[in-house]
Amino acid sequence: MNLFDLRGPEFLQFYIVLAAFVVIALVFHRRRYEAGPAPKIGFDPYTIAFLRGGKNEALRVGVVSLIDRGLLTVRGENVTQTAQARSVTATPLERALLDHFSSERKATDVFKDGRLEEMCRPLAEDLQGYGLLPDETAKTRRWTATMFALLLLLGVSGIKLAVALQRGKHNVLFLILLTVIAVVVAWRVGNPRVTLKGKAFLEDLRTLYRGLKDRASSVHSGGATAEALMLAAVFGLTALPVASFAWSRSLFPKAQSSTSGCGSSCGSSCGSSCGGGGCGGGCGGCGG
Amino acid sequence: MKDRVGLGWRPELAAGILANLARIDIVEVIADDYFGAPHRMRRSLKTLAAQVPVTLHGVALGMASSVRVPHKLVDHMARLVGEVQPEFWSEHLAFVRGDGIEIGHLTAPPRTLRTIEGTLKNLDIARAAVGMAPHVENIATLIDPPGSTLSEPEWLAETIRAAKCDLLLDLHNVHANAANFGQSPAGFLVALPLDRVSTIHLAGGKWIGPEGSRRLLDDHLHDVPDPVYTLLETVAARTMRPLTVILERDGEYPEIESLLAQLDRARAALARGRAQNAALAA
Repeated sequence: MNLFDLRGPEFLQFYIVLAAFVVIALVFHRRRYEAGPAPKIGFDPYTIAFLRGGKNEALRVGVVSLIDRGLLTVRGENVTQTAQARSVTATPLERALLDHFSSERKATDVFKDGRLEEMCRPLAEDLQGYGLLPDETAKTRRWTATMFALLLLLGVSGIKLAVALQRGKHNVLFLILLTVIAVVVAWRVGNPRVTLKGKAFLEDLRTLYRGLKDRASSVHSGGATAEALMLAAVFGLTALPVASFAWSRSLFPKAQSSTSGCGSSCGSSCGSSCGGGGCGGGCGGCGG
Repeated sequence: MKDRVGLGWRPELAAGILANLARIDIVEVIADDYFGAPHRMRRSLKTLAAQVPVTLHGVALGMASSVRVPHKLVDHMARLVGEVQPEFWSEHLAFVRGDGIEIGHLTAPPRTLRTIEGTLKNLDIARAAVGMAPHVENIATLIDPPGSTLSEPEWLAETIRAAKCDLLLDLHNVHANAANFGQSPAGFLVALPLDRVSTIHLAGGKWIGPEGSRRLLDDHLHDVPDPVYTLLETVAARTMRPLTVILERDGEYPEIESLLAQLDRARAALARGRAQNAALAA
């Protein structure tokens, strides 16, 4: 039986199955090369922010952290360096951010600064080294697999279209629509920004830091601890408590939040070594 | 010899712990929190173990009992140990259930040869399922277990000797039991085979009850008291084994700096004890 002789609805069914097969194959291909155990990394907030949302997220978190620590100050949508900033010890990225705001500028201008982009490059390289972002080898491998998938999807669809048109049939809108959807899905599945290992690592960070997120409303501004910084790095600026960090939302209205935070679905942890099967509340002591 | 000092992992302390891994040698995770947990939660534990050495601590197996330890819980522990590959795992020498009723508390068994026998059977079951024996922990108790024929150090020493297990020595429990029953904590330590101690718990508690019948409650909600550091120094002076010291805190969490300061005090106590140890050896 020639597949291209199938009637329209039957061929659409076949094409849906083919597209699903191709997408699943792309997932397995990535799983084969990109999955793996979590690496040992330092918990640098800018690296984590970069992993979560790329260069812009690292810069957003950096600006907010510096404002929180009193090294930058906010005037409306603009930001400028404080006197304290000149003498403070800072990471190279932070120093570049402080230099960027040596004169008053709009906060979102950081996204257009080539030097800041350059300062973020080591973050990307570190993450590639850990296998959390795809390196050149991984990108080539992905590209090859995705191109093969797209060729298959477009080729099968194209032949069917040609056959249909040759036979004078013009009811091909659904096939075109389905092809576009399949190509977009295959492209996205084949080329996400982070690797499978990176995705799992981000999810694990959200799980490990769920205690911090649960008490986010009690996280103080002022930079006395790194809690606000880590909260922003792992979950995004939107996780910061509005009461203390309302300014961060007006500076960066398009800030990302973590899209798959575990929230309450992680289950509550007793977090206690007291007693078997219950938190106890300490009425009888822990004994353990 | 390399002693290590670490902290009990609690979600509330996670940010502080992860931000200070340079000052925390090891973390102890409550295993029961992950029994039957979703894959994502258990995987996060593996990710944690990739950053810092991890041990698993059980609270609900109920080893010190004539009641057999539930297979389901042992299987959970075995699975978790298999997944996380901790340095070791530990459980309490306590019973937590009887006649199908969960007590919800770590309870001291009568200290008799018969309860040692039951404990050994449970430890055998756990060892066979998990693939390694747990470090077993002495517990605090507000009442002297009725029907006991052995003292606490006698019961502990015989149990770990027969079970061939290491002892996780909770020094606040030693301190609390000694305070509550008018005994000498130093004498307690002398009666223990300290060469079997590999891990130590530190914690704090509070005094409860009316004057005249006050009891020291091991609630894990307070800072480690001075006498417990003295006991730590004593243990470090009397054993050659490397020690892993874990600070337990279960609530009323202070700033992480306060907990790190307690870890520093523990390191200092260990160093003093080791210096005495070296002087004696010389």
